Amino acid sequence: MKLWLSLLMGLKEISAHKFRSILTMLGIILGVASLLTTFALTAGIANGMRDFMTQIGGIEKIDTNRQEVPEEQTAFAEISPGQTVADAELIRSRADLVSYVSPVSELGNAALTRGNQTMRAQVSGCWPDFAHINKHEIAHGRLLTQIDLDEARHVVVVGRSIVDKLWPERKNYNAVGESFLINGRPFTIVGIFNFYEREEDKLRRERGEPPKMGGPGRGGRRGGGWDPFQRKNSSVQIPITTMFYDYKSSTMVGTVDQGPNYKLDQLIFQVKDVSRFQEALDQTRALLTVTHRGIEDFTFNTREEWFDSMERSIKSTRVSGGMIAIISLIVGGIGITNIMLASITERIREIGVRRAIGAKGRDIFLQIIVESSVIGVCGGVLGLGAAFGLLRLIAQLTESENTPIVEPSAILISFGFAVAIGVLSGIFPAIKASRLDPIEALRYG
Amino acid sequence: MALIELREVTKRYRVGEQEIVALAGIDLDIEEGEYAAIIGPSGSGKSTLMHLLGCLDTPTTGRMIIDGIDASRAGGNRLSELRNAKIGFVFQSFNLLPKFNVLQNVELPMIYAGLGSAERKRRALTAIERVGLSNRLKNTPLQLSGGQMQRVAIARALVNDPRIIFADEPTGNLDSTTGESILALFQELIAQGRTIVLVTHDNDIAAHTPRRIEMRDGKILADSKHPAPLAPV
Repeated sequence: MKLWLSLLMGLKEISAHKFRSILTMLGIILGVASLLTTFALTAGIANGMRDFMTQIGGIEKIDTNRQEVPEEQTAFAEISPGQTVADAELIRSRADLVSYVSPVSELGNAALTRGNQTMRAQVSGCWPDFAHINKHEIAHGRLLTQIDLDEARHVVVVGRSIVDKLWPERKNYNAVGESFLINGRPFTIVGIFNFYEREEDKLRRERGEPPKMGGPGRGGRRGGGWDPFQRKNSSVQIPITTMFYDYKSSTMVGTVDQGPNYKLDQLIFQVKDVSRFQEALDQTRALLTVTHRGIEDFTFNTREEWFDSMERSIKSTRVSGGMIAIISLIVGGIGITNIMLASITERIREIGVRRAIGAKGRDIFLQIIVESSVIGVCGGVLGLGAAFGLLRLIAQLTESENTPIVEPSAILISFGFAVAIGVLSGIFPAIKASRLDPIEALRYG
Repeated sequence: MALIELREVTKRYRVGEQEIVALAGIDLDIEEGEYAAIIGPSGSGKSTLMHLLGCLDTPTTGRMIIDGIDASRAGGNRLSELRNAKIGFVFQSFNLLPKFNVLQNVELPMIYAGLGSAERKRRALTAIERVGLSNRLKNTPLQLSGGQMQRVAIARALVNDPRIIFADEPTGNLDSTTGESILALFQELIAQGRTIVLVTHDNDIAAHTPRRIEMRDGKILADSKHPAPLAPV
């Protein structure tokens, strides 16, 4: 018997019992819908996380921080000069596995003033590489240069949020060439960075809706959400030499000036090749051990573990969500098996008649399998539709941080599962039906 | 050679510990063009015999040749093919598929024979015309009378051009007038050279057929042939 004829018969059988078929399909529909929804939501979260990871410098960015000196070294810890610009210079000249390096000296909670506008921000004294390592892109003007450093110029490169706050009356102002005061000393803006925002914030902005959180001029925290780019958009970068001369040349302890403090707050660098990550760390560690005279008063703060755990949690969410959805699909499959068993009991006589007029066991088998598969396929298609509806609903109802992403592979997997469940759940009833004795079947009822 | 030959055919069933002998040695020839009735009380083995003849089952021992093919040891698929190609069934309760219309019901055996749709339709229309139901093609069985349903069943039995038609109590569910018309249809088919075997417990119906095969306790009690039909057509 031709397959498409069996297909027609299967469709006929299903349309003859519409309500029953829909109820049976419901299990598959819900299973497929939850499977695809889970995939889409986790893909969205994963995408958002990866985006954020890249924006904050990616895995290749490494912070060097001060560390408690190990106990056996405490007695002579003072021979180490600590983190200094010399560290950065040595890395720049000798560490060939490092692509960018920058020393950082910070001025926390500095007052930025323009006319009667005042705000507080953290100012970073750094090298031009600082912008590369933190994945900043220039929108207007230029980055800091070596000449700025050498001459300790009073120039500054700022994030978009800073400009928006200092020039609140001018939207998206290109303030290159303008100046403002940092703790009372004038600086000229030579560059402005891009405005960084998450995909859905961008979409909202383009639709003309107010940003949910963390837009320019707003706090980072609102409604439990957190804008990962808030800090990045508030960046203020000046040459580290200027920082030293203007703000670090005296350290007041009580009434006594202890002299300049040229210690670094941070030393950041970027690994050239992530596949040689550990090698680059070892190389840098060796160099820093020289400048620190063997004192282990520094540590590398990598994001490797953090990123790994993020990836792991994304994966486990995906797997557990998928498992639950697959369980509901299997339950749906059991529903199909159940209804097919009921349906063949109902149709024993029909099967007998078909056998009597020449149907082989395998024709009957095929007929039942096709029916259950058609339920699986229809359920799969409706389930995909339901999933898209559900995703829309979720997007509208919840203040979702990450737009769900429907990957073609997820559609394929969800639909494939529905079809497989449809076929598998028909096998047992089909075998049972095909093994019915024609004579018994004809006598039945 | 006869169309159907049975030689020392037995059929035994095992029900729990007990063995039931349904057929205890049957020798039977049915020639092409014959019109025969198998009669006997219930339990006489006539249904078992018809199931064997109709290739729904195989004998426990003995040989059964149908149209030159030994069906006594045939497997399930072979039996299905034999039923499809060489045998037509007419049942007491019609056994039409209620969800299919007249045309689709008649086309069904040809689907299992693997015929194309145009050929199926052509042959189904011819068979339906033969039983006089050309104006009811799109009706479902539930919209037909008992006599009409049995005519559809006969059309279905005819459509693959079988060598022999088995009718199991074909008038059992019909009133006597309708039953007569069905028997008259059988007479017409016989006149066209068809071979028909009726199974019945009704002597009046058996009186229509030139040959009566009487069964009792799994054996053939009597096998009588009349030269001509006794009842008027």
